[in-house]
This record gives sequence, structure tokens and C-alpha cells, in this order.
Amino acid sequence: MVATPTAPTSTGRAGAGDAAWLATLAGAPLPSRRQEDWRFTDLKALTALEPQMITPADPLAAVDLPAGLERLSSSSAAPWLGQALAATASAEHWPVLLNSGASAAQACPLLALRVFGAAGSLDLHLDAGSTAGLATFRLLLVLEPGSSLELLLRPSSSGPNALSLVSEVILAPGAELKLGSLAFGTEESCLFQHTAVVQAAGSRLDHTAVAGGWGLARLEPRILQRDGQAFSRLRGLQVCRGAELADTHTWVRFDGPEGELDQLHKAVADDQARSVFNGAVRVPRAAQRTNAAQLSRSLLLSDRARIDTKPELEIVADDVKCAHGATVSRLQSEELFYLRSRGIASDQAAQLLQRAFCEEVLRDLPAAAASHGPLLTLLGRA
Amino acid sequence: MSTATVGDLVSQPYKYGFVTEIETEKIAKGLSEDVVRLISAKKEEPAFLLEFRLRAFRQWQQMQEPDWAALGFPAIDYQDIIYYAAPKQQQKKTSLDEVDPKLLETFDKLGIPLSEQKRLSNVAVDAVFDSVSIATTFKEQLAEHGVIFCSISEAVKEHPELIERYLGTVVPSNDNYFAALNSAVFSDGSFVFIPKGVECPMELSTYFRINSGDTGQFERTLIVAEEGASVSYLEGCTAPMFDTNQLHAAVVELVVLDDASIKYSTVQNWYAGDENGVGGIYNFVTKRGQCRGDRSKISWTQVETGSAITWKYPSCVLQGADSVGEFYSVALTNNKQQADTGTKMIHVGPRSRSTIVSKGISAGHSSNSYRGLVQIGPKAVGARNYSQCDSMLIGDQAAANTYPYIRCQQPDAAIEHEASTCRISEDQLFYLQSRGIGFEEAVSMMVSGFCRDVFNQLPMEFAAEADKLLALKLEGSVG
Amino acid sequence: MIRPDAPVLLDIRDLQAAVEDQPILKGVNLTIRAGEIHAVMGRNGSGKSTLSKVLAGHPAYTVTGGRVLYKGENLLEFDPEQRACIGLFLGFQYPVEIPGVSNLEFLRVATNARRAEQGFEELDTFAFEDLVRERLAVVQMDPAFLERSVNEGFSGGEKKRNEILQMALLEPLVAILDETDSGLDIDALRIVAGGVNQLASPDNATLLITHYQRLLDLITPDHVHVMAAGRILRSGGKELALELERTGYDWVDQELDRLAAGGQEAGRTPVEVG
Repeated sequence: MVATPTAPTSTGRAGAGDAAWLATLAGAPLPSRRQEDWRFTDLKALTALEPQMITPADPLAAVDLPAGLERLSSSSAAPWLGQALAATASAEHWPVLLNSGASAAQACPLLALRVFGAAGSLDLHLDAGSTAGLATFRLLLVLEPGSSLELLLRPSSSGPNALSLVSEVILAPGAELKLGSLAFGTEESCLFQHTAVVQAAGSRLDHTAVAGGWGLARLEPRILQRDGQAFSRLRGLQVCRGAELADTHTWVRFDGPEGELDQLHKAVADDQARSVFNGAVRVPRAAQRTNAAQLSRSLLLSDRARIDTKPELEIVADDVKCAHGATVSRLQSEELFYLRSRGIASDQAAQLLQRAFCEEVLRDLPAAAASHGPLLTLLGRA
Repeated sequence: MSTATVGDLVSQPYKYGFVTEIETEKIAKGLSEDVVRLISAKKEEPAFLLEFRLRAFRQWQQMQEPDWAALGFPAIDYQDIIYYAAPKQQQKKTSLDEVDPKLLETFDKLGIPLSEQKRLSNVAVDAVFDSVSIATTFKEQLAEHGVIFCSISEAVKEHPELIERYLGTVVPSNDNYFAALNSAVFSDGSFVFIPKGVECPMELSTYFRINSGDTGQFERTLIVAEEGASVSYLEGCTAPMFDTNQLHAAVVELVVLDDASIKYSTVQNWYAGDENGVGGIYNFVTKRGQCRGDRSKISWTQVETGSAITWKYPSCVLQGADSVGEFYSVALTNNKQQADTGTKMIHVGPRSRSTIVSKGISAGHSSNSYRGLVQIGPKAVGARNYSQCDSMLIGDQAAANTYPYIRCQQPDAAIEHEASTCRISEDQLFYLQSRGIGFEEAVSMMVSGFCRDVFNQLPMEFAAEADKLLALKLEGSVG
Repeated sequence: MIRPDAPVLLDIRDLQAAVEDQPILKGVNLTIRAGEIHAVMGRNGSGKSTLSKVLAGHPAYTVTGGRVLYKGENLLEFDPEQRACIGLFLGFQYPVEIPGVSNLEFLRVATNARRAEQGFEELDTFAFEDLVRERLAVVQMDPAFLERSVNEGFSGGEKKRNEILQMALLEPLVAILDETDSGLDIDALRIVAGGVNQLASPDNATLLITHYQRLLDLITPDHVHVMAAGRILRSGGKELALELERTGYDWVDQELDRLAAGGQEAGRTPVEVG
């Protein structure tokens, strides 16, 4: 499964701590913390990786495709590829460049699906495994008019590696996608998950991304409502402990009127962990009667942990409803007291409240997620 | 809303746009170490201040103009600016009778009468014309309470020990590009010192007037409230209409010790440029207060209606235990104005609390951004922040941006941020109109209702002024 | 039901407490025996609610003097959850909403914590559901409420019924009901009062904290105490409540003035009624 890296590695210190091979793969230098978008994102977990590439197993090979769905070959997928990235202005994003560079250098599974009916549900395990190095996946979903799909992605890693997943999603009028992602890693592993979605009018996207346990996790859902009049529901949950860093940058843009966004992002930071959230909402002039609501709620559980959050609203349309809110706090003392006054021990009460905090997002994952015990994995560690 | 009828309403011209014909002494355009030395020499400054200026100048030369704000403007040629201009009167007069009557007339026209007979009875005023303070009223009465209120140049001469102790301690000379520039070339401004236990017996006010067309204005204000002292301070500003842009880069520093409080209010009405964006003031201001003492309090209230460009973040560093920071802001942009404004609340001390209420109104082709930072440091146990940022959009060509940064390192803290965007709805207007209220009045009622929380924070005399100012600025923009 | 020989469940002696350095309780004395129903009345700010919070162990209140014995043990040493497990129950005036925590799960965890203390076996999900459905009848509550988050979106009456449901499940020895009647319409009040009466037994005791007579029309107290300025100013039988209803609280001010003028310390000596 392990291939030799195509990119030249530096000599000497076995490549660890050296980012040159990553820059070469991406064709661009690593993001610097002087860039606003990377200000709080320390990439040392990434640069510590062994410079080699992992060829992961093809997750589609292991499942039976439901009716209403077909796998596209590389050549039939080609016309679609890149569209969503271009539309969401993310083709030049470093994690996308890395994914493209690595995919070009090393055959990685292209998971391209065309959905043409009510396709039911699908559960894909994208595993980087326990070997050292870089594993890349590329996903393309094309939903035709009126089609629907419920897809659960499970990126995972159990070793000192980085998992790069770039998903491109194109939703035709009336298409409905419930896209869940349940990503669990280890303190040694990195996740770069980029999800670019273009929605046509009348389409519906429910995207729920949950991440926990990664030394470094960077999640970037980017959504364009091409003609407005679509519905986007975004849910995010990141739980970080130890020295983990979880960073979500979301971006939603409405290029037509009457679009709707309902966004909730939650974060739990304990120990020395660091949680970052940046939520951009762009409402240009064409997007009259947009209704967008964004809420960010963070739980800070330790005095060595940090939370950085920044909503970003840019609005040039007068007839819109845009609200956003952010809270950072520890568990509510009145809630804790209420539970304790009923005989529930304080650590158990805290656990109950943390579970409740997480469940509000977890319950929006596709039904298939339940069998993977997300709550236990997120909170059962510690 | 009918575009035809409302669009026809003509904007009220900027009524402070006149120029006073008065002889001024100016130094040549451009900035160099020699210019810095010259300014210091003209002001007969002590060595420590010249050192301060030179250090700042050298730092400024190494710095880059910041580009992170949501603002766009042509590059400023810092060598094409006059850094010192003063009305030709040899030195500050001891009595108002000796001040050039033309200057007094100017301030009369601005609604800030300085002469004994006409001046406001409960407000002491320091009037700054171009780079120089020309008169301060009620000085003697204030001195009886131990309150020092004078121009900063005068304070440098009379109270050098206080200036040396406090100047640059809140906003260090290398804090940012514009603060460094100000530190190198600041000309005048106000100094306020409220000694221990004194509640300042009247409102203090500084009125800034830019007159000459190619002069930069770089005032420096320093207010110190010792233990248990309190003061309410207000600044106002206007400038003539020129079709070029004037640079205004001020620095304001507040120091508050145990149990003391400073309330700092601004009604900013610099010339904003015309409807095509020609002319207007570039307003790059660094305002920061340090709550050094326990239970100390700083409250910023600003009504920002003028300037072509506004770059301004009045901030509070909450060091003392139980210290309190407040920021109440109304920022109105119209035509092609651009504002990037907000606040920083840096919580250092335990149980420090802050409140942010920001109301942005964007009309015309303007762009109005709220940019705020709430930072809770590791020692700020029990810190609390509540922020509310609302935007109102008038017309579909104006932009309202909101960038609230939240950084928290203390679990026993609570931060809450809320924001919303609204417009004046036709239903609301119709409801008011159906009760016999005229269209313009209905709009201004809605706008002033939107800003109510902030206006309530202004000293009474100025709240009504601010309300009127807003109505004036908005005339003709609703359509 | 007053039995002088009944065991003392709660014995409060000269209890003083403060919140944020502000003294609220200034020497409260109260003895509650098994089988008794006590009512503490008084105006807003008299310290009644503080008394209930202090007994339940709310962390915002600091006990600055006196003691509280619960079945002979020092109650003040226990954490809030231990107090609940050994049989002290506080029905909150404003039960907090806890979004996301399922009411059913919450009730089960709390019930099992109490059962563990009593030496009973833990109830599994199914056994607990049977129990909770049976107890729902006490407060005539719709089982649908079990599926919702704790108190979230409940009306005032629903919240109070949920409190009494918890009481029915936890079977406390001493139940303190803080302004349980506030915000209830007459039907809800009847249901809540009916629940409290149903749960009262010779082995347990109830402490009602209220403003008004109307709850006491439905739950007959054995003892009534009037609280003012952080003390119990007067104690008596149920007729004291009726007298208050007629005369109002004005005499309280006079009495406080008299005390301030140098009269005897009020509330220091509990008035034994029997």
C-alpha cells in the first residue's frame, strides 16, 4: 500500500519536520500564519509527517451501490471536475492544491457518483490506515434534477499520516443531498477536508461535519447558491482534547435571491487544545430576500485550552435577514446545579451536558452514523 | 418606497464646509527627521519629547500601512502633506479678548461659542484650529478643583512630569503605522488630568477644526483619571470642503486608576467628500484606554457620520479586577463613504466586564464594516462580554460587513455576541405614514429608534444634536 | 400531622448566609419533624428563596454562621447531589431549561442515583419507563414530555408539574417547594397541590415557600412561619396564614421597626407550636 514519494525529499533528517515535499506536491509554499485564514492554524502536525504517499483502498469497491446511482469513470467525470471548486473560489486553496498535486502524482481513488433518482443511503469509509505518509481521496457527486441521496463519509486515520479529502458536489434544481461526515483520527494524524458545493435553485443541502481526535483537523465546507432560492443547512461539531487543533472555515455565498442558510457550529475544547471557527457569509446585491442565520457555540473546558471564533458577514442587499451569534462559555452553572440537586454527581452531570451539547449536531447526521457510536468516540476518550 | 419621489430629495449640503481666511504659518510639505526636529523646536519641547518623536519616526519608517481593513483608497503620498500649520498669532493668549476675532467667529459659526457671554455654561471647551489649540474656556474654575484641562503643548510646558509619565504608555509609539506617524509629528490636542477623588464639575470638550487644505491633522489627547476620579469628555470635529483628501491621524490615550472612570464621547462630522466620493477626510485614529485600576471604568460612545474613510477602533484594556469597558457606536455612511470601525476589549483582570453595542447604517454606495475583538486572557477569571452589532441597510448598493473576532483562553468566562441586519421595511414606513407622519420623518424616526441605545449614552446636550445630524446626513438617501 | 415524638428530620439553628458578601439570612431557626407540613411565608426579598437555595447547597450562597442538621447529620457538609441522594429535594421556583438533555434520561439517572443511596438496585430503561409512567399519573402529565429536553419549551405549569414528577420519583424525606404556586393557573395549581398531598406521608415532611394563601387552601400546613429581613419573625398554626391574608404584611414592618428600635432579637428563639 505504500508507494515511494514522487516528490523529492530533502536529505538529512529523514524528512520529518520538513515541509519541502508538501510544497512541491502542492506547487505552492505552505500557508503561513501571517495569512488571515491560517492565523491560528499551526501546521506542525502536518510538517512532522514522513514524506511518503499512501495508496488507500477504494471505499466504493467494498459497497453495493444502491439503485438510482452510478459510478462515473474518470473520463466521464472529467467535465464535472473542478466546477464546484472554481465556483466556490477554492481551486487555489492550499489544501486543494495539495490534494490535486498528490492525486496527479499518485493514483488515488476517484469516487465519482452520478445520482439520477431517489438513491437512498450510502456509507463510505475513507481510511488512511495506520501507515505513515499522505493519503488523498477525491469525491465527486453530481445530483441530477429531483434526485436525492443520503451519504455518510467516514474519514479516519489510526496512524501518523494526513488524510486529504476534496469533495465536489453539484446539486441540480430540486436535488436533495444529506451529506454527513464523521471524521475520527489520532493525535498523530491530520485531516484536510474540503467540501465545495454548488447548489442550483430549489436544491437542498444538509451538511453535517463532525470531527474529533485529530492532531490537526482543517475542515472547509464552501457553498455557493448559484441562483439563490436554495436551502443550505450546515452543522458542525469539533471536539478537541490534549494538544489537538480543530479548525473549521466555512464559506457560503448567495448569487441569487431568496436563498436560505441555517448554520450551527459547535466546538468543545479541553486540555491544551485549540479550536478555531471562521464563518463567512457573503450576500451580494443579487441576493435580495436572503435569510441567513449562523450560530457558533463553544464550550471551553480547561484554562489551557483556547477558542478563536470569527463570523464574517458581508452584505450588499438591503432586503435580507442575516443574523449571527456566538457564545463561548464553560458548562452553565445553573444547569449543573439543577442536575446535582437531583442527585446526579457533578462529573456525571457535566458529562450529560456535554453529550447534550454534542447531540444537537450529531442527530443531524445520516441515520447510518448511529451504528458507529459517534458520541462514545467523541466523549468516551478523555 | 418610491424611488422617484424620495430620490428627488436633495441632500442637505455640508454646512460646516466653509474656509476661514486667516494667515497661517506652515512648514514645507514632506516628512523627514528634520521636519520632526523642526516641529519639536517650534513647540520648544523638552528633550524627552524630541526623543519620543524621533524614535516614533524611525519606527514608522520601518512599518507598512495596514491593508487588512475593508477599505479601498488611493495610496497616500506622505511627502505631499504639510505636517505643521498654525494660525499666525505669536503664542496662546492669556485672555480670549486677544484671540483673533476671525477664529472666534469661526467657532461661533460652528456652534461652539467661546466668548464669555455666549459659551455653554456647563461645558469647558478646548478649541483646536488646524494644528494648534487656540483657546480653552473655564480653565481657572477647573483649576480650583485641581482639574487640569489645557492643550497638550501647554501641558508639556506646565506639567512635563505628567506627560513624561503617561504619554505613549497606552498607545506605544510603534503600536501601528498611524500611531507611529502621530507620535512623530503630533501638533496639539488636549490634556486632562483629574486628581484623586475628584469628580470633574463640568463636561469637558475639545473641538477640532481642520482649516487648511493640504495640512494633515495629528492631534494627541491624553486623559488621566487618578484613584476615584471621574470625568465626561466630548470631542467634536468638522472640516471645510476641499476636493482633495486631508489626512487625520489622531491618537487618544486614557488612563484610569482604581475606582476611577472616564466617559469619552465623540461626534465625528469631518467632511465626508461629495456624492461622487471626491474629497473628504481620511480618518485614521487610534483610541485606547487602559483600566489600570481595580473597579475602573472606561466608556466610549461614538457617533461617526463624517470622513471619506474611517479606520478607528476605540479600545479598552481591562487590567484591573472588576474593571468595566463599554463601547457604544453609531456609524453612518452615505454616498461613497467607507468606514471600518469597531472596538477591542482586552480582558486581563479577573471579573472584568465589557459591553459592545454597535449600530451601523449604510446608505448610498457606501461601505460600513464593524470589526471588533473580544479577547479573554488566561487570568480573566469570571470575565463577561456582551456584544450586539446591528446593521441597517438603506438601498441595495450599500455594504454592511461584520467581523467580530472572539478569542478566549479562560473557561470561567462568558462571551455572547449577537448581530442582525435589517432595513426599514415598507410596512413599518406605511404604518407610520398612515398615522400622519411624513416620509422623511418616518425614516428618521426609524433610524433614531435603531440608534436609541447608543444615543442614550451621550451627554444630554449632544444626544439631540446627534439625532439631528443623522437625519441630516440621511436626507435624500432613502429611495 | 403533628406528632411531638416524631423524629426530627431537619433542624436549622441560627442559620446565616450571604450572597456576594451581602448577608441575606440573619439567623434562621426552624425544626421540622416527620409527618409535618410547614409553610414559610413572607414578602419578596425576605430571604425565603435564599433559605431553600442554601438548604439545597447552591454554590452562589455562602453559609456564614449557624448549622443545619438533617437526620442528625451536618447537612452543610454535603454536595448538592449528596443532599438529593439522602432525601432532600428542592422544587425550584424557576426550573432551568436544559436543551439537549432528554427529560427521560435525566429522570432515570437521578432516580438511580437516589436508589443507589437507598440500597435499591438500579432500574434499567424498561423498568424505569414502567415506574415513570406510573408516577406521571400523580401530576397528570402527558408522557410526551418525557421525550423532550429537560424543561425546554415547557409552559410555567408544565415545568412545575415536571418538578413534582421528579419529587414523586425521588421520594424525598424533606421536600422544599419554592414558590411552586407562582405562575400557575387554578387547574395547574390543583394538580400540583394534589401531587404534593398524595406524596405526603407520616415519614416525610414538606416545606412550602409561598407568598400567598391560595396554595395553603389546597395543602393544609401544620406550621406557618413568617419570614422578614432574613429571619423568622413569627410562627403559628395554619390560622397565622389566614390572618396574614386578612391583615397583609404591614405589621411586619412595624415589628421590624420595633426590633430595630432596640426590642428583643426576633427569630432567635423559635416559637414552638404544638
